[in-house]
Amino acid sequence: MDDRSSPTAPLRFETRISATREEIFPYLIDSNLIIQWLGTSAELNPAPGGAFAVDFENTQARGDYVIVDPPRRVVFTWGIPGSDELPVGSSTVEITLTTDGDGTIVQLLHHDLPSGQREGHEAGWVGCLGTLSRVAGR
Amino acid sequence: MTAAMRSSADDVSPNTDVILRALADPQRRRVLRLVRNREVAAGEIAAHFEITQQAVSQHLRVLKEAGLVSERREGTRRLYALRPESLEPVRAVLEEFWPAALDRLKYIVEAKKETDQRG
Repeated sequence: MDDRSSPTAPLRFETRISATREEIFPYLIDSNLIIQWLGTSAELNPAPGGAFAVDFENTQARGDYVIVDPPRRVVFTWGIPGSDELPVGSSTVEITLTTDGDGTIVQLLHHDLPSGQREGHEAGWVGCLGTLSRVAGR
Repeated sequence: MTAAMRSSADDVSPNTDVILRALADPQRRRVLRLVRNREVAAGEIAAHFEITQQAVSQHLRVLKEAGLVSERREGTRRLYALRPESLEPVRAVLEEFWPAALDRLKYIVEAKKETDQRG
């Protein structure tokens, strides 16, 4: 496969959560709630053009919110300050919440990742499929 | 030459991009899996590959320069082992990042919902 033909294909992750979209959405835009599942500290300004800044133990993700459409969809850019491969603004994360009976399908797309980064993400995804199916339990 | 030597790679902390470039090659990731749990001699590593020993040495050099493996000399042998701590800087973009994050989101939201309903 030609590596250059694939960088536009986003990574795609999905999970089902037994909660409504309204219950989940704040965890995508609230600094205190997002760090319960992403990073160790965050500064979020959830409006188009507003800052998306999440710190991890050993790295940082920086970007801007592009779309904030409660309770359906959030889009923000994603990069690592000072990185050549994944500079700030170079990739985009899109999280979509879709009602599924009494629960919600959470779909996460990570667009425009360079190939090296994408391989890492995909390796992790494949390794985690078993865990996810156990968690989902169906 | 006979004394055990610690690689200078133990003392540097290469940046994330160097590590990612080193990880971007499937054969180098295979080498990392081989040395994940124990020190392995260069010759033994090479025996697992169809490619030349020189090519394997080149991969080991890239991994060492990225700080991903340590190198120790024992007599005429060179022993390599994964430095798990070297993966810390890119942990966020490597294994299980988004799936693990989504798992946490699922647990947190569902646990809170359960608590709220009981309360």
